[in-house]
Amino acid sequence: MKIISGNEAVALAVKLARVGVVGIYPITPQTSIIEKLAEMKANGELDAEIIRVESEHAAMASTFGAAIAGVRAFTATSSQGLLYMHEMTWWVAGSRVPVVMVVATRAVGAPWNIWDENTDFMSERDSGWLMAFASNPQEALDLTLQAFRISEDERVYLPMMVGMDGFILSHMKTNVNIPSQDDVDLFLPSRKQPFVLDSESPVGMGNIFPPIEYMKLRHSIHEAILHSEEVIRKVGIEYQKITGINNYSTLNVKYKLDDADYAVVLMGAWAGDAMEAIDELRKQGLSVGLYRIRYIRPWSEEEITLALKDKKAILVIDRATSMGRGGPLYLELKSTLHHEQMCGVISGLGGVLLNKGDFKEIISRFVERAKQGNAKGITWYYPKGGEKIELKSPRYVEE
Amino acid sequence: MSLSLRDMLKSNSLLSGTSACPGCPENMAMRMVGMALGNDVALIVIAGCSSVIQGLAPKNSYNFPVLNIAFAAGPPAASGMWRAYRQRNKNTTVVVWAGDGGTADIGFASLSGAAERNENFIYICVDNEAYMNSGGQRSGSTPFGAYTSTTPEGKKENKKEIMFIMMDHNIPYLATASVGYPHDFVNKLRKAKQIFGFKYVQVLTPDPYGWMFDPSKTVEVGKLAVQTCYWPLIEYDNGKLTVSPESLHCLDRSTRRPLKDFLQIQGRFKRITEEEYKALENYVDSMWEKIKKLMK
Repeated sequence: MKIISGNEAVALAVKLARVGVVGIYPITPQTSIIEKLAEMKANGELDAEIIRVESEHAAMASTFGAAIAGVRAFTATSSQGLLYMHEMTWWVAGSRVPVVMVVATRAVGAPWNIWDENTDFMSERDSGWLMAFASNPQEALDLTLQAFRISEDERVYLPMMVGMDGFILSHMKTNVNIPSQDDVDLFLPSRKQPFVLDSESPVGMGNIFPPIEYMKLRHSIHEAILHSEEVIRKVGIEYQKITGINNYSTLNVKYKLDDADYAVVLMGAWAGDAMEAIDELRKQGLSVGLYRIRYIRPWSEEEITLALKDKKAILVIDRATSMGRGGPLYLELKSTLHHEQMCGVISGLGGVLLNKGDFKEIISRFVERAKQGNAKGITWYYPKGGEKIELKSPRYVEE
Repeated sequence: MSLSLRDMLKSNSLLSGTSACPGCPENMAMRMVGMALGNDVALIVIAGCSSVIQGLAPKNSYNFPVLNIAFAAGPPAASGMWRAYRQRNKNTTVVVWAGDGGTADIGFASLSGAAERNENFIYICVDNEAYMNSGGQRSGSTPFGAYTSTTPEGKKENKKEIMFIMMDHNIPYLATASVGYPHDFVNKLRKAKQIFGFKYVQVLTPDPYGWMFDPSKTVEVGKLAVQTCYWPLIEYDNGKLTVSPESLHCLDRSTRRPLKDFLQIQGRFKRITEEEYKALENYVDSMWEKIKKLMK
């Protein structure tokens, strides 16, 4: 047990995973991950090659090159950086090569904003990566370690990214249980991948595919993501067996949900505030529970349906937007459940802070509406009240 | 150091049945890469004609392990690859193969980054002086006055002189070559292979379609570019600039073959005026003045 930040936890996971090459480029709030790795390298604690590249696009490309040549590879990014490497995230997934990346989430400009929001992360949903999202530094470490194992599983062979809320997890220090190197070595055997670019047995990768073959490859990525669900559960169980850390036998996490009439669904760090709010609301007699989404891809229809289908109403809280449509998490849930009473709240964008009181207000308002059979639509929630929108030209939102 | 034909034909980097156009200079250059570097090579091909020349997957006409990749990703991917090979105790020569667009334009930042870090691979710029794979649009490497599909009136700016820019990166080895002189190209690649660090080789690949000349004349045009001193053959080895034998006559203005001989064999300079011709001559002059200055 050690008091460390989310970023330090990730750096430790990278070291414990015996990563061979790390492509690094700084961007707030991811920076201290790569600084920590550089420091460990300088101290002789880390064996990996560190490539100090000139951009995030290059960070992903260098990580990809190393992975293709047969070593375990890692990089990390945030916000504009993730958008800048977007071309390469598709390239890596399309190549079916195992790679792991951590995204410390942050709002996307314009205008400039360095604070937390999950839109950067959520915008990668279609690229073919597996996508997990942590809710505390411990989970950031655990999921990063598991990501290597999952992405290198022959039923998967896809890259995986682990998200965590920028600053809130990346820079917040808490107690983290760090597995021993021996345990991790047991958990994570040496790297496996479908093809290695090697002069001894030359293969060509990525040249022009005929339409039907291209479509088959895309299909295979889709199938691999579906199959990864089972792999994730097994890897989670084994992780717990070897390290004794937490319960990862399910993709997503329930909190006081089974006996609740009403469900709140969200992901990430503010699950903590939501849980506290739920504790207090329960004392007041409100039958609410929390369902925390940990995996965006794979999206476990089965787990989600089982957990939520009998609830009287569902509230989905997004820290991200799909402009003109609401929150991405809300849309995913909606396409899974087709529930009569489901509503979405968008809040926390660009670092807007919500506390326990805000969650209590959001949730109790939702339950009231649900009782009237009116839990529908999208609301933008501003802490301390104001949410009046006046349309002017250009349109803007006024408190 | 002279290189005989017998020394060169040991490895077959091109398999039969490529999808190249007739008279393709990139095919020629690729064959020379095999002659120079052998088979322990990992090739990264960034977007361009060479991504197509390989043919449709799963077939592949390059007898190397090949990674095809997006434009700006070649140099960083090569950085990752050679480091991975080092971790695996392998001595494979990593080669990035890129067109002039991928080099001078869209990929320049990552090229510069890898050069600054002195990454251990050979970067080959296959310079056909336009975006030939997308139909012949102008690039930063297109010369002044040349017709392209986006400069129907002739390009109004000079060719971006990447070789000088790369020299300024203080890399251990840089060379220019032309497919018209295979011995020279092969020799330079062989030398590059022996050196640790970033190696930049820019080979002129005259394109029969984009430059509008008969496909049987690729070698001739490649030679003319050198003979008329439009394209200098040089080497920059450990900070020392030397002019290759085929270009030595260019150091003296009076022994240069007229530039017209190079321009007239192609269609892309058909419409240039006398004034524009003078400007092109001035460009060649100033390039050689720069070379002379750098030799001192």
